[in-house]
Amino acid sequence: MNFRIDTTADPNVGVVTLSGRIDAGNSNELQNSFMSWVLETSLFVFDCTNLDFIDSSGLGAIVSCLRKALERKGDLKLAGLGSKVAMVFELTKAKKLFSIFPDAGSAVRSFENSEP
Amino acid sequence: MKTIIVIREKDYRWVRHVFPDIHPLLLPICNKPYIEFLIDFSVLSGSREIRLASDGPLGEVEAYCENGSRWGVQTSYASIQGTDDLEVVLEKNRHFCSDGRSLVINGMVFINYDQKQEYKTVFASLPAGELLSCSGGSLMLTGVPENSGSISRSCPFSISSIDSVSLYYNLSIDILNDASTPYVLPGYNNEELCHIGRNVIIGKSAEIRKPVVIGDNVQIQGGAVVGPGAVIGSNVIIDRESSVIRSVVLAHTYIGEQLEVEDKIAAGNMLIEPESGASLAIEDPHLLTGIKKSGATVPFLRYLLHTLVALTIVVFQLIPFLLLFPVLKLQGKWKQRMQECFADMSGKTLKLSETAIETGGPISTIAAFLSLDRFFLLFRVLAGQLAVIGSRPVPATSENRDLLNRMPGYRAGVFSYAEAEDWPVEADDMAIVERFYAAQGKPLRDITLTMKALFNRIHDKSLP
Repeated sequence: MNFRIDTTADPNVGVVTLSGRIDAGNSNELQNSFMSWVLETSLFVFDCTNLDFIDSSGLGAIVSCLRKALERKGDLKLAGLGSKVAMVFELTKAKKLFSIFPDAGSAVRSFENSEP
Repeated sequence: MKTIIVIREKDYRWVRHVFPDIHPLLLPICNKPYIEFLIDFSVLSGSREIRLASDGPLGEVEAYCENGSRWGVQTSYASIQGTDDLEVVLEKNRHFCSDGRSLVINGMVFINYDQKQEYKTVFASLPAGELLSCSGGSLMLTGVPENSGSISRSCPFSISSIDSVSLYYNLSIDILNDASTPYVLPGYNNEELCHIGRNVIIGKSAEIRKPVVIGDNVQIQGGAVVGPGAVIGSNVIIDRESSVIRSVVLAHTYIGEQLEVEDKIAAGNMLIEPESGASLAIEDPHLLTGIKKSGATVPFLRYLLHTLVALTIVVFQLIPFLLLFPVLKLQGKWKQRMQECFADMSGKTLKLSETAIETGGPISTIAAFLSLDRFFLLFRVLAGQLAVIGSRPVPATSENRDLLNRMPGYRAGVFSYAEAEDWPVEADDMAIVERFYAAQGKPLRDITLTMKALFNRIHDKSLP
């Protein structure tokens, strides 16, 4: 899977659409892509609307992305978690680490509201 | 008085869908198979003979209930057609039902009875016909009341359907939460709302919060929180710092480290949200997985396979060892020291030689690549003292004896499971991997893991 960042909704917020699966096969790719994205912005929304499956390495990659965003005084929010993906976040307690929104639009707007 | 239990595939289709490995009549409700609730009620009603009639296979149920002598009744089994209505079923079983009164339990229904009550006299005075019904089935009586002079019309019990995973979950939790539970639940119970089975290992820092029902052969590791509202089936491992709250964990399930199972049903690698019915097959065995039921042949098979693997490695290593060992020994690069280590969970100890090959030079590199440092240990596998792959041998000290208690399935190995995995970077990670594979115990997988460990050691940058 090629991970792409979209900043059309807000130039300061990078929206990353995750689809299909994130597992040991592509979690490194996500982390590597994220390394280049954090040079451009520190606010991120991961749109999980089309994400069908995530395993512990995928989860680890997303948590690592969050940590990198926080290190740069930014944030990473999740949007559109399906019930199955949400169950994995709940099971691993990762849900507590993220702000979760029903869709990418509301997640992007939440950054506007939190700006000073 | 006799009881005939009529259950059709269509009544329990949802069970087959959600829990494909469990026969619906053996579906545990608070760790007690559903059929046992029906048998208990039949016994309270005064039945001495129980017939199970189904259009599906009854082999597993027959193996479990046998002839019913465990409950002081006689059980028999009959096949019916899926299209047979109750009238046809009774007609087909007329010989069984013809003699006196018969209680007919039709469908997958749960009878809310009280174990302390006696229903013999109630049934003797109830009229023939349908007593109770709900969407999932009904309860009816055939035959003439024994006390025809004083016919009663009220039933001191009720029935409810178990026709969805949500109803099943709510029923389990309701029974669990009832301090004055009217049912006999399995396990040791000397205080309210707490039933604990046999061979339950609870880690020192683990917390058990009532109400809970815990089955047999359960391991609850340190820092784990079980309850309130937890039904833990038999042969379950709840790993370190995980919590199970208001949830049902079915038998043979492994719950990985630092997980939170709340308001869920966990069955093998399936995680089910009872309210929505959504289920998720966790593909990651370090999170949630089923524990294979091991037979009596497994230890022997494991010994056999481990011996074969060890023998093969010895054959491959023999010539390089004979050539390189004297050179390394002369160069003083072959360092060996004896150490007393724990062999297994029992605390039995072994004197093992720990070999280190000093870095520097092509001979050391080749010897390390070929894992010649393990050559002597392989003979311990042939002697049945070590596993070819298992846990890293733990030095036999009094502090480590406590550590051993937190390592279920520990068996010292020539190679360790952690060496077969790429990701463990810290001692804690290695402990997770070793605990996971030790608990999973699949002899055939051990061969693959040994090969992986050998391969990983070749690529281990820390080697000379």
